[in-house]
Amino acid sequence: MDRPRDPDDVTAFRAQEGAAVEVAPHKEPTTRREWIKENLFSTPFSGILTVLSAAFILYFGYGFLHWIFVGGEWQIVKGSLRSYMIGRFPFEEAWRVWVGFFLVAALGGLSWGVLEKRIAWSLRRIISTALVAVAGVGLLFYLIESGRVWVLLGSLIATYFGMMWFGKVVGRRLEKVVALGWLLIYPAVVLILVGFGGPSPRRWDGLLLNVMVGSIGIVASFPIGLLLALGRRSSFPAIRTFCVGFIELIRGVPLVTLIISAIFLLPLLLPPQWELNLVIRLTIVFTIFSAAYVAEIVRGGLQGVHQGQYEAAKALGLPTWRMTAFVILPQALRNTIPAMISHFISVWKDTSLLSASQANDLLDAARRSAASLDFIGHSKEAYFAAGLIFWVVAISLGRWSQRVEKRVGVGER
Amino acid sequence: MSQAAAVAAGRPPFWRDVRILRVLWQIVFSVAVIVIGREIYLNLAFGVKQQGVDLSWSFLNSQAGFSIKEGLDYSRADSIARALIVAGFNTIRIAAVGIVLASLLGLVIGVARLSRNWLVRKIAQAYVDLFRNTPVVIILLFLYFGVVYSLPRVEEGSIFDVAFVSLRGTAFPWPRTDAGAGVWGSCLLAALVIAWLVRRWRTRINEATGKPHYRFLWSFGVFLALALASYFVIGSPMKMDVPQRAGLRFTGGVQLSAEYFGLLVGLTLYTSAFIGEIIRGSILAVQKGQKEAGEALGLTPFQQLRFVVLPQAMRIAIPPINSQYQNLLKNSSLGLFVAYPELVGVGRTVINQEGRFTQVLVIWMLSYLAMTLSISTVMNGVNRLVAYRGARR
Repeated sequence: MDRPRDPDDVTAFRAQEGAAVEVAPHKEPTTRREWIKENLFSTPFSGILTVLSAAFILYFGYGFLHWIFVGGEWQIVKGSLRSYMIGRFPFEEAWRVWVGFFLVAALGGLSWGVLEKRIAWSLRRIISTALVAVAGVGLLFYLIESGRVWVLLGSLIATYFGMMWFGKVVGRRLEKVVALGWLLIYPAVVLILVGFGGPSPRRWDGLLLNVMVGSIGIVASFPIGLLLALGRRSSFPAIRTFCVGFIELIRGVPLVTLIISAIFLLPLLLPPQWELNLVIRLTIVFTIFSAAYVAEIVRGGLQGVHQGQYEAAKALGLPTWRMTAFVILPQALRNTIPAMISHFISVWKDTSLLSASQANDLLDAARRSAASLDFIGHSKEAYFAAGLIFWVVAISLGRWSQRVEKRVGVGER
Repeated sequence: MSQAAAVAAGRPPFWRDVRILRVLWQIVFSVAVIVIGREIYLNLAFGVKQQGVDLSWSFLNSQAGFSIKEGLDYSRADSIARALIVAGFNTIRIAAVGIVLASLLGLVIGVARLSRNWLVRKIAQAYVDLFRNTPVVIILLFLYFGVVYSLPRVEEGSIFDVAFVSLRGTAFPWPRTDAGAGVWGSCLLAALVIAWLVRRWRTRINEATGKPHYRFLWSFGVFLALALASYFVIGSPMKMDVPQRAGLRFTGGVQLSAEYFGLLVGLTLYTSAFIGEIIRGSILAVQKGQKEAGEALGLTPFQQLRFVVLPQAMRIAIPPINSQYQNLLKNSSLGLFVAYPELVGVGRTVINQEGRFTQVLVIWMLSYLAMTLSISTVMNGVNRLVAYRGARR
């Protein structure tokens, strides 16, 4: 039914519409003036917003900078730097912490060199890196007076870049070594801290405690969470009920109550002859807490795996555990990378609650320094310093995770 | 029976029979759980005997003896049960207000993150980066000891003698009912019904003629006019209760303690950064074609947002927002660090005083479970409201 076209119709249509609607393609601003007009003053409302925002930035920016450079009493941080970092960890054993640092720096540099592509140094990246570097070095110059610490820090950085260079030269052949290294580094660091006549974990204090409890909790919670997630989706009612109950119970209560129960309840539930110290009990609590959340993340990933994958695996005659390990989990876990990293960041932030028990973590050190009679009215500075440490680690993890997501290509398949 | 014979008989051996394995594995698992559970129970029983741990609930009736300066009426002479109820009410008080404020601020942040204005966008991004990556307890402590403690003293912190912001707390005016409030209340109800009728009338006109309905303006205007008219006819049934300074305290108005204020602001700032990111993400997740279709229909940018993008973004946003609300509720337990007397803080005091930590732990679990479940129920209801009509749930 192809009706012959009537040319008059078309002209009538055109006449009716009048001049053709010409929409110019959006032109990207080229000059600075155009950019300002487009991004700051495109409409009167936008102009008002710009002015208000600028006033906001000036007001708070001035207040903040004034506080940092003029008003703040930073001696409160400088004076108790060691108690922030390692607290009452015996000073003559501090070399163990440094060895741990060197191991992590070496491995970090190596994996960066092996895995990372060459960075495209845009002007923006150069400027922001330089700013961060200047701020960091300036901060260190203010805080650290001991020459020994400077030498150690310098060699730490040299190790990092040395290993990076080495990794770059040797290249991808080292991938397996790097993976193995990350697997072994946790036991290795714990061994160095505790083994060979080292102090008991009860002496871990300050930032050291946060890092150790957080990282052990994260690593140990992963396999447990994985099992819980698989259990929750199991077709066996007994296993499923147990896993659902466990996950929901842990997720339903605030972490603080779990930490408090690490003081009182956990010693009562575990065999009395174990006599675990508080730090180990807190690590157990963090592991359990994190496992419940990991389980939910993995469950999300499992739900994202297409039903056909299960059917295909079964059609190949794979037994259940092989199907799970080699077909389902690799696909499920890949999808959980972003959620998993943001969970790890939140566990890191949650270690700030350790002092709800009698543990002396970084926050507790800040609180004690703020309570000192010499610095009445300057607790802001102490909490700011503690917050800055947490913030720097969290935001670097976040930025790093964005890079990983891009590289792995999550969400692209 | 050999394996070959079993296969020949058409039956796998029992250790490969899925039906038997199924039962077997569950029995093994249950036995393991029971054995471990029994071990834990025995340890507990041993502890009860050895350390004199008391598992009875009678302590709830004994006199509390500690003071709570916040919320419902309470004195030291009241029972511990009463103290815990007061504490639970305080938790709800902070969580409910915090949820409302965090949602509003989060919406602003989320929209600002997508603003066409570069400066606004950058400020919102800095806000999110700052608060999402700092532990909430440090935000609280910084605000409480750093900011609230540097507020002016009671004598100085007045705003035109109407509201007060000071070290000893914050007080601002609040309407209180006066004579004739009941009558006015029923007038308001009637006005609400009339406004609804007006809305229906406008809708019908719009459907019949295609003229714009302006039903929100109409119904709201009618409601406002009726409410104001009846207010003046009855003769001011509500009065503004303006707080007064009485020595070192305030009377009248609504008073917030410094602890409440600090905790509320901290929780709001922290949670709003997360909610902002969720809202931004869900607006971005709405297909671009939807907005373009709205544009093609000649809708203004605001209309595109209001009628096309936001309704669809809501569907994506509600489940994660639900879990943020639950997080806010659970984070209110950090009142422990700033001495705000909520459930965990008061429970901790009870533990220190009475030593009944198992019972207090049970109370905590049950109360938080009940509260998170209520949030979930409400949010699931909202989710049903905004879900696709006829969508499979």
